[in-house]
Amino acid sequence: MIDVAVVGGGPSGLAAAVRLAEKGFDVAIIEVMGELGGMLEQCIHDGFGTKFFGETLSGPEFAERFVKKAYSLGIQVFLNTYVKEVKAGGGLKEIVAVSSSGVQRLETRVIVYAIGCRERNGFEIRLGGTRPAGVYTAGMVQRLINLYGVLPGRRILIMGGGDVGMIVARHLHLEGVESILIVFPEAGFAGLPRNVQQCVLDFGIPFRPRTVVKKIIGKERVEGVVLTRVDEKWNPIEGTEEFYACDTVILALGLVPYTCELKLGVRIDPATRGPEVNEFFETSVEGVFAVGNLVQVFDYVDDAVETACIAARGVEKYLNGELKTSPVRLVPSGKVRMIVPQRVEWVDEEDVVAFLRPAVEKSNARIEVRNSEGRVLGGFFRRYVRPSTLERIEVSRSLFSGQREVTVDIADS
Amino acid sequence: MFSLESKVARVLKKHPYKISFRIRDNIVFLEGEVESHSKWVEIGLSVGRIKGVEGVVNKIRWKSSGKEAEKEEWRRRVFEEKRNTVVGEYDVVIIGGGVVGAAVARELSKYELKVALLEKSTDIAAGTTKANNGMIHAGVEPPRWTLKRRLNVKGNAMYVKLAEELGFRFNRVGSLWLITPRTLAPYRRLLPGQLYSLVLKHVLPLMVKIKGLINGVRGIRIVRGRRIFELEPFATRDAVAAVFIPSTGVVDPYEVAVALAENAEANGVEIHLRTEVVGFIKENDSVKGVVTNKGVFLCRFVVNSAGLYADEVAALAGAEEYTIHPRKGVLLVFHRDTGVFTRHCLAEIILPQDPYTKGGGINPTVHGNVLWGPTAVEVPDKDDASVSREEIEFVLSKYSAIIPGFPKDRLIRFFAGVRAATFTEDFVIRPAKWVRNLLHVAGIQSPGLAASPAIAEYALEKLMEMGLRLKPKTGFNPRRRPVLAAASMSLEELDEKTRMNPAWGRIVCTCEFVSEAEVLEAVRRGAKTLDAVKRRTRAGMGECQGSFCTLEIALIISKETGVPLNELLKEEGRLFNGPVRGEHV
Repeated sequence: MIDVAVVGGGPSGLAAAVRLAEKGFDVAIIEVMGELGGMLEQCIHDGFGTKFFGETLSGPEFAERFVKKAYSLGIQVFLNTYVKEVKAGGGLKEIVAVSSSGVQRLETRVIVYAIGCRERNGFEIRLGGTRPAGVYTAGMVQRLINLYGVLPGRRILIMGGGDVGMIVARHLHLEGVESILIVFPEAGFAGLPRNVQQCVLDFGIPFRPRTVVKKIIGKERVEGVVLTRVDEKWNPIEGTEEFYACDTVILALGLVPYTCELKLGVRIDPATRGPEVNEFFETSVEGVFAVGNLVQVFDYVDDAVETACIAARGVEKYLNGELKTSPVRLVPSGKVRMIVPQRVEWVDEEDVVAFLRPAVEKSNARIEVRNSEGRVLGGFFRRYVRPSTLERIEVSRSLFSGQREVTVDIADS
Repeated sequence: MFSLESKVARVLKKHPYKISFRIRDNIVFLEGEVESHSKWVEIGLSVGRIKGVEGVVNKIRWKSSGKEAEKEEWRRRVFEEKRNTVVGEYDVVIIGGGVVGAAVARELSKYELKVALLEKSTDIAAGTTKANNGMIHAGVEPPRWTLKRRLNVKGNAMYVKLAEELGFRFNRVGSLWLITPRTLAPYRRLLPGQLYSLVLKHVLPLMVKIKGLINGVRGIRIVRGRRIFELEPFATRDAVAAVFIPSTGVVDPYEVAVALAENAEANGVEIHLRTEVVGFIKENDSVKGVVTNKGVFLCRFVVNSAGLYADEVAALAGAEEYTIHPRKGVLLVFHRDTGVFTRHCLAEIILPQDPYTKGGGINPTVHGNVLWGPTAVEVPDKDDASVSREEIEFVLSKYSAIIPGFPKDRLIRFFAGVRAATFTEDFVIRPAKWVRNLLHVAGIQSPGLAASPAIAEYALEKLMEMGLRLKPKTGFNPRRRPVLAAASMSLEELDEKTRMNPAWGRIVCTCEFVSEAEVLEAVRRGAKTLDAVKRRTRAGMGECQGSFCTLEIALIISKETGVPLNELLKEEGRLFNGPVRGEHV
């Protein structure tokens, strides 16, 4: 029997495992792929680690720091191993894992899920037309180029103006493809401002805001798409349809927590689409934690890693048998799209770290925590908030005492 | 008695166009010009409905029909190139590797015959067969005097044995046709007060039951009240009665076709993929050779089971007796975890039938997914498997009433298939009228999948009537080597398998729990493309729709087949179309 089984060997899983091993716990990492590092392995661009390490690293470099640590701490690592079943009952959990050496059973006191997110596909946005070869998700393309040196096609259309879309656009531009066009329904890019500058504007890559793909055309291979302009509500504007010739459509439609692999029936928050967690990232099942992009998709790997570090403290508390009180629910208001954690329930001294995504774009904003009567309990000034940037706040624990539910809202300052 | 000529003339007079026609052996050839595809369909169907018409060749032109010239030119060129290259000599050449062609091949493989199955695509079942709801109809619906009716009921009964021999999944789930106040809404005015409810509860279900009995469908039961919801707990509470048809089943249509083809091949049938017919070498009234892009297949008999292209193949052979008018059906796929919402093939009877959803409903699959649809829309293009946002919304709104609580947000995919309908709207399984040794097995639309085992037997009867002599093969093995799947193994079995072959323990598709061993096995059994592997293993059919595993699977296929990653096909087109890094773009 071990203390902690971490499912998923990406940055968040690695961070959680390393922190816990440093505290002296017996930790194992179970990873389905053939190597540790997760999605960072295909992210060869830089910009990772600015918050966590205070320097800018490429994805594999960022991962490498944790991987080395993990091995030097003697963490057991199971690669090419897939968690098929999980049983929890009476405090002990059993993991049934499948790998090339057979079916293994692992008893553990705690499970930390860090299985990340998946990319949204064309079916989820009901992308019409035909379904020929030549339609890929952006992550698949990154992997294809960076790990296998193959380009997906020559004339590229990218759907989505988020970070991933912009980064892939820059990459394909540098690889020398014939043409690139980025389209997105928003008025401006949805990704981080630094990516707009460094990935798109610096290279003069063409883009069209307020534009969506109405349908894909082509029988065997993509021959083109029909583009259409949309209004502020993303409704197509009639008469703006236009054929655009390309042989490749890359879907950078955003990421969703990959919850279909959670086998324990943990409660899912429809807003984050990840499991509901408390302030130490424990799910609705005791002793089962969830960290990183599985909980909600973060803008920076640094933030994802921070959740793992917080969870490590929670795991320690859980294993030490520390106490919980009655939970205080954190509820997003109309101007906040979602918030993590969804509840605060441990007895602890330290402030609660919460992440929230604004639903509005606003300068001189105040993020407010209010009680159920609407009284403001605390506030955080922000020069600028926008949906593309996740906000991190540290809320003093005293604020929650005596409450059953608090609302988080964004007001004018 | 009116002559067929005068009947056709009378029907054509109703349309405000100058349409000329001639009739040869009860086949009607139409010529003229109309302004749209829908008129083309309408006129074809109205002639096809005339009693005594055995086929409609619809050569009426409509705006924007074109492109044929290009195809004709290509066929002519390849024909000239290949007419002297002989591939081999065969007793029977089957054209078309859909479920029907595969079933005929398997039936023929029971006898001492040299048989070749030609398929233009890169895989078996890549046309109409791959894109339907997998329903094995009981046979209530087909009109009484049709060939469809006879072969449907018989084919359905043959599935149990076939599934057992070939090792494909077949679930006799039964169907439940709900009757609600919406069922006869347009007639409500004619049925005042209690009468409406009486008709809904008692008269209509009885009529359906009698229709089924006449067709030879057994076991039909009428259920009312609470019994409906015991059978189908999530069905709409509006249902006042329902007709339960126990013999309806579901299969995975490509699994069936692949199983048939594999077993046929194991029993000596040659399967030629990427082999497209471009013409025929004829002597007098007989086909001597089938000319393809691979060369000439000399033959004594030809079976035309070319599905959507059966009319073109027939025309190339000089046996033009029908025109196919493609009818598209859109289907929505829901995640496996929605399987709990549907036990039966569920439909709500709505009269009069909506011509755009004929036969549609909510169906379980053998894998636990749920399918909604299909629609039924006439399309000009045989390859038009496109799905528009509007069509998705249409299906979603159309069937919502059947299971009001269904989690519609669990939609994970949509697709469309195209039915190979003729204007007479019945199966055309008969010797060609003007070619001695060609058998038509055409116009196989719904319930073609259900009927296919019976179609194959019937086709063999016809071939015998045409002079084919059948001598049973002594070594015929009716069983297919079983296909194993990690997802359906117990942990102990999987453990044991993995210890013998570590590839069983490498899970490459996590959404559907597919191991590397299964992918390798599919490749070894003949799958050469990503989609062929997907159809056989389900890798890529889950929640993420292949965004995680596509590349992984492609690498395995590439390694196993020796085809470089950037030359690998998805289905017909290259999966990745770009250069390898370092090459010029």
